[in-house]
Amino acid sequence: MERGIAVAFSSIPEGGAMGAEEKVKVRVMVAIDDSGESFYSLQWVLDHVFGSQNNDEYLLNIIHVIELFPSYVLPGAPAVFPSTSIVRSVNKAQEENASAIITRAIDMCTQRNQVHINTSIIEGDPKEMICGVAEQMKVDLIVIGSRGFGKIKRALMGSVSNYVIHHAKCPVLVVKMPTSKAESLNA
Amino acid sequence: MDKSVMVVGIDDSDHSLYALEWTLEHFFSTAPGKSPFKLVVVHAKPSATTAVGLTGPGAAEVLPYVERDLKIIAARVMEKSKEICAAKSVKDVIVEAVEGDPRNALCDAVDKHNATVLVVGSHGYGAIKRAVLGSVSDYCAHHAHCSVLIVKKPRKTAH
Repeated sequence: MERGIAVAFSSIPEGGAMGAEEKVKVRVMVAIDDSGESFYSLQWVLDHVFGSQNNDEYLLNIIHVIELFPSYVLPGAPAVFPSTSIVRSVNKAQEENASAIITRAIDMCTQRNQVHINTSIIEGDPKEMICGVAEQMKVDLIVIGSRGFGKIKRALMGSVSNYVIHHAKCPVLVVKMPTSKAESLNA
Repeated sequence: MDKSVMVVGIDDSDHSLYALEWTLEHFFSTAPGKSPFKLVVVHAKPSATTAVGLTGPGAAEVLPYVERDLKIIAARVMEKSKEICAAKSVKDVIVEAVEGDPRNALCDAVDKHNATVLVVGSHGYGAIKRAVLGSVSDYCAHHAHCSVLIVKKPRKTAH
């Protein structure tokens, strides 16, 4: 069950006035978490999609979804209810983590190109939230990283990219990290 | 600087031609001729034996006709994709037909051209159809050695 959604929008138009909203023809949404693969996908988008000078017609939405705490309850196991202080401190840590991630993402964008950016931090189940927000914002392209799991890991740990591919209403780009880079990052 | 290669997988369906058009519109329209990608359109032509799937008597007689039809369809698909590219004034295109199962053919094409992106259309099947009919886009998303873009044709009855 989803809790109420806490949506924080911070709009940072880069190099353009507010009037640029009317010219936006293509909305791209990139989903970020704290994995190296998702930042690689952001970099990939900046390199290949926003490579050209004329980025006025594009709007880049960066979304980070905070996974709610009691999401690791195994079916059949006795329910463990953490005390409220634990929940509170975990939430606080997650929020700090989220803003650090978003800041890092924004830095990456500003380093590279002039591009209009919109950021959102959302609480909930990542896969459903990504699809839901993409539909609300009417994005034209969702970009998501892939951790390169095999079938078994994917079944056990869940795969956000798999869910998004099947349920999103718009085109989805799954960016894979070349394996050599992935190994050096995760070593 | 070497251009990165984008492979687009095409079959006879509307969905894949829509995928090709979408790709051209979003990646190749800003500055035709100066796009950062080199486009390779790959049509995976199923071989007659896989298409027919019969091993009974009489299969051998049907095969030449099936093969001829498949060749005609393949030629038509390649023509259509060349037309679409020309309409968007994209000149740096290679169109090729590969024989065999689309899943492997597309992944092999990615390796052969050292592509950075593979684009496939999606029929938008539900879970059951996907399990029964198989899904090329699913297979490619998991097994291709490069990033994969799955383009879905929006349903007409969306509200």
